[in-house]
Amino acid sequence: MGWKGAAEPVLTRMPAVRRPEGHVPFKRKLAWTAGILVLYFFLTNVALLGLDQGEATDLFGQFRAILAGEFGSILQVGIGPIVTASIVLQLLGGTNLLGLDTDDPRDQVLYQGLQKLLVVVMTALTAIPMVFAGGFLPVQGSLSLGGLALDSTGVQLLLFVQIFVGGILLLYMDEVVSKWGVGSGIGLFIIAGVSQRLVAGFLSLSEEGFFYSWFQILTGRTDLDPIAGGAGLYQLVVTEGQLLALATTVLIFAIVVYAESVRIEIPLSHARVKGARGRFPVKLIYASVLPMILVRAVQANVQFLGQILNSQWGMPAWLGVYSEGQPVSGFFYYVAPIYSREEWLWWTAQVTQEWWQVLIRIGIDVAVMVGGGAIFAIFWVETTDMGPEATAKQIQNSGMQIPGFRQNVGVVEKVMERYIPQVTVIGGALVGLLAVAANMLGTIGSVTGTGLLLAVSITYKLYEEIAEEQMMEMHPMMRNMFGKE
Amino acid sequence: MDRGQNSGGLMSSAGLVRYFDSEDSNAIRIDPKSVIAFGVLIGLLVQLLTFVS
Repeated sequence: MGWKGAAEPVLTRMPAVRRPEGHVPFKRKLAWTAGILVLYFFLTNVALLGLDQGEATDLFGQFRAILAGEFGSILQVGIGPIVTASIVLQLLGGTNLLGLDTDDPRDQVLYQGLQKLLVVVMTALTAIPMVFAGGFLPVQGSLSLGGLALDSTGVQLLLFVQIFVGGILLLYMDEVVSKWGVGSGIGLFIIAGVSQRLVAGFLSLSEEGFFYSWFQILTGRTDLDPIAGGAGLYQLVVTEGQLLALATTVLIFAIVVYAESVRIEIPLSHARVKGARGRFPVKLIYASVLPMILVRAVQANVQFLGQILNSQWGMPAWLGVYSEGQPVSGFFYYVAPIYSREEWLWWTAQVTQEWWQVLIRIGIDVAVMVGGGAIFAIFWVETTDMGPEATAKQIQNSGMQIPGFRQNVGVVEKVMERYIPQVTVIGGALVGLLAVAANMLGTIGSVTGTGLLLAVSITYKLYEEIAEEQMMEMHPMMRNMFGKE
Repeated sequence: MDRGQNSGGLMSSAGLVRYFDSEDSNAIRIDPKSVIAFGVLIGLLVQLLTFVS
């Protein structure tokens, strides 16, 4: 029994969004998804009450692109706590420390409860240092609400309550989309954030905006060095012109869409119905790009810790030296992921570090992303029932078999074991490498490589899901085949 | 055709948070409409208080 018995009364009572009874029509699903999306955008525009807008710096920094939410709004924590809670669950579940069998209904309830409890704890743990430590969210000195006058501690408490409620609200918004809508809320929020940045990166009427800066170049308002000398070309491609960023962005799109179609297909035939054939695809990015967000979140939390340590107590030089809120040397500098060209082009004036320091940082970033990508992909496959054992069971249950092999779960599992682990590791490592490369070359609107990878692959998944929904809508018989009621 | 995949119906795309079909009868059920209503109300409340403060 152990922890399960002790925790059961709490975990089974966690509030949950009601499940729809019976089939939800596709249009209704779209409406729920759109409703949540509108609410999400609305909330990102509601500024925190009691926040001193002037000098605040975003603790998430560059990680904001993938952690969604909006700095200084009610959705300050974004999906950070949900991702962190998911990491903890992945590690516990992947190493089987929990002893939960996700096929058992009782354990499923416990798993869901634990998941929710972890998110609540993580939201508090993220919000507390944000509000109470350092100057990440500077508060107004005093605030009077009607007759009630609050001192700065009171305002801090008020800030904490708002951020905490926002974090929990995101969790339930995700649940509504997962149960009543299309795809998942988390995916939706990531796409929303990344797309917003991408559109702003193209259309913004400032130096950041791609079209704006090209308008400036073409009308001669930007001073260019002569192109023949190379310096002008550098400006066009790398700095003002952003051609390199555009190329990287388009390339990532193309690579992800292409990689989605790279697969090993395991032939299947029906055991009883002659001629009924099928294929089980093991995709190259089998575990999808999602494990990547977990690696990035680990890095984000390390940086988060560094920022807090630095602002609260300071730290020895070998651990980290900070300048303008960014680590410039020491341990926290080396483990910080690279986010833009300005951070690694060591022959330019923007980089104050030595070339070998930059190289070490790049090396660590690549190692973490490739290694971490592979490891989290393995955990992901295990915990989401995409592993050899689970898929073999699924194939067996649907009455299919691999032609030329005995119809037996163990045999199917053996065949699956030849492909799934290898493909998972290669895919995870590849996606990690791609993310680092994209960051180093830069992307339009600085959406970051990981952000772009996530957005494209989630959109692709969403498209597949919508296609499936529509097919089921047109042919109600298909619902049985897809195993849904 | 591709009957082998998609059976089970547990996998939702990009689900960092997993939801299973089974639910405990003790659990507090929330209507999805109340989630949206609560979100809108919180947003409006904060906005309103910012206005009057």
